[in-house]
Amino acid sequence: MSVADFREQLAAGTRAARVVAAVHQATWRKVAQREAALAALPHAGALRDRAAQIRAHVVAHLPDYLEQFVAQATARGAQVHFAPDADAAVRLITALAVQRGLRLAVKGKSMTSEEIHLNAALERAGLRVVETDLGEFIVQLDRDRPSHIITPIIHKDRRQVAEALVRELGCRYTEDPTELSLIARRHLREIFRRCDLGITGVNFAVAETGTLVLCTNEGNGRMCVSRPRVHVALLGIEKIIPRLVDLPVLLKLIARSSTGQALGAYTTLITGPKRPDDSDGPAELHIVLLDNGRSTILAGPHREVLRCIRCGACLNACPVYRNVGGHAYASVYPGPIGSVLSPLLDGPSHADLPRASSLCGACLEACPVKIDIPHLLVALRAEHRARRPLSRRIGLRLWAWAMQRPWLYRLGQRVLRRIVRDDGDGFARHGPGPLGLWTAGRDLRRPPARSFRELWHTELRDER
Amino acid sequence: MNADSRPPAPPATFDALLARLRAAAPRAAGGDARGAAPGERAVSADSPDAPLPGDHLDLRAVPPDADRVAVFTAAATAVGVTVHRAARQAWVPVVLAVLEKLGARRILLEAADHTAFRAAEAEALAAALRAAGREPLVRPDDDTLFDGVDAAVAGVTAALAETGTLVTATGPQTARGTSLVPPALVALVDPAQIVGDLLEYFADPRLGATLPANVNLITGPSKTADIEGVLVTGVHGPGHVHCVLC
Repeated sequence: MSVADFREQLAAGTRAARVVAAVHQATWRKVAQREAALAALPHAGALRDRAAQIRAHVVAHLPDYLEQFVAQATARGAQVHFAPDADAAVRLITALAVQRGLRLAVKGKSMTSEEIHLNAALERAGLRVVETDLGEFIVQLDRDRPSHIITPIIHKDRRQVAEALVRELGCRYTEDPTELSLIARRHLREIFRRCDLGITGVNFAVAETGTLVLCTNEGNGRMCVSRPRVHVALLGIEKIIPRLVDLPVLLKLIARSSTGQALGAYTTLITGPKRPDDSDGPAELHIVLLDNGRSTILAGPHREVLRCIRCGACLNACPVYRNVGGHAYASVYPGPIGSVLSPLLDGPSHADLPRASSLCGACLEACPVKIDIPHLLVALRAEHRARRPLSRRIGLRLWAWAMQRPWLYRLGQRVLRRIVRDDGDGFARHGPGPLGLWTAGRDLRRPPARSFRELWHTELRDER
Repeated sequence: MNADSRPPAPPATFDALLARLRAAAPRAAGGDARGAAPGERAVSADSPDAPLPGDHLDLRAVPPDADRVAVFTAAATAVGVTVHRAARQAWVPVVLAVLEKLGARRILLEAADHTAFRAAEAEALAAALRAAGREPLVRPDDDTLFDGVDAAVAGVTAALAETGTLVTATGPQTARGTSLVPPALVALVDPAQIVGDLLEYFADPRLGATLPANVNLITGPSKTADIEGVLVTGVHGPGHVHCVLC
């Protein structure tokens, strides 16, 4: 994405007042819920330290734990595949489905599957693919994209959900969230009865036992791993944790951080496919280990980002995310963590995202595994300094030069005060001359009538 | 990685991946302080089974001397589970009353030896249900499970006090669908099955070797807040969860 694209997305995002209002309300609510949940958790600080330690330990010892995980999962009857990149993963899963004659795929919410753009490929191969998480279901009906990694339709209000369901399912119009949810439930229930392939992501994978852990709330994830005869779990290689005893540390934090719940409604531990004497469950469990750039991140200086457990707390805490919404990032992973992950996973097309931050530090404070996102953002910015537009490079150099010469700086202040015209609310949106390049993507606060230095010399000093 | 340099080609096989990760590890452990949390082991050659720093910390939420039944009841109630107390010999009328209140006519009974709801309990409840003009069902087929069951009665393998969680496990006697497909779940829990919290539950050294294909930690009814953050229960799983402590 170029700077111009980002600016365009930004403008489109901020223009949609409904979107901004919805995202504001939802993120503030989630921040309050997270804070309340963590305040009520005994040893919250120590648990965060432990969680950070466990995840950092895994990142530092990933090959050992991956090998152990694969051996254990295989021993318990799972079939483990390795996909070097998105294309390979898509080809692998499509081939699996086609070879077995599978027709109807149900999906649990999975950001990793968004990352590899799985649905379109499966549909081209003749499968019907149905997203079953309520939010993702609406996203699919609207041919939209999720704008939050936990709450996919955080950008939609109930009217938009109602319109989608009426248009696509032909149901009666209602704006009642309970009725809307029940309409989706009835529709998806028939699909759960008939589906033959379940596709999910994975929250944690336990190396010690080869166990996959899914954290869900609606029950659709459980349907996806118990109804179809084949379950395909898409697992980013960094999602491993060492032992079962490490799981509760992370479970105590993930739901509190993402939704403010002490624990989600369903935490499902999957260890191998249906056993011979089980009465239901998938006969085949396929685990697709996805690299897709992760090993490159691990080999580089930003590997700390691989600790991420995708709780979404940094999105809710971020003042930039709150104001522009998830779509403005134009990447699968939005928000602060997306601004780090997307340039690393996707390369140059997202190189500008690290600039979509005021570096206020709210993301670091919210992160349950203490990823220093501001630090990573600054490091990524530095790597891409050469990509700054020439105008900004010249402008910043002039700024630095003037800052070192007080007389020149004072002169600059006076000039700015004269030429910057605000829109009546203290903010200028159309700067004069070269300043226009700056205000094209930002609002500039109108300089105050008197600078602090001037106040100091005329009034403040006398009050000492 | 420099902005202009092309990223290296991804490792083509799992072995190539491991080789690349191993090659990266020493560099990562040496030069990059931010990737490693304080106290982290600096080398990757040691066994994955070695203790991690912090393993000795006791971070449990519920002290050993706490009244677990009280903690469980409060937490379960807070997440939307209705908790009932019954005397050991008098649980049948309590369960009947719950099912009556749910308006359940066809009731799935899933007895399992490792729970508080065994064959004997299921027989006693089935007899009482028949006497009340209700229809007890055992191992229903798929169509019945989806359309013909109003509630399921089952036991649990454990319960967690801190979070009000019910733990179920699949096996020869216990299906994945029982606690998922019917619109209501009534769980029989022996107070002795209640452990303090997740940390206590997962600390059981026998757990790893005996994991069934599925373990479900069920915390309240199925729920979503996807539409404007409004809490809706009973999306795909049961909207009503009752727990009878007996």
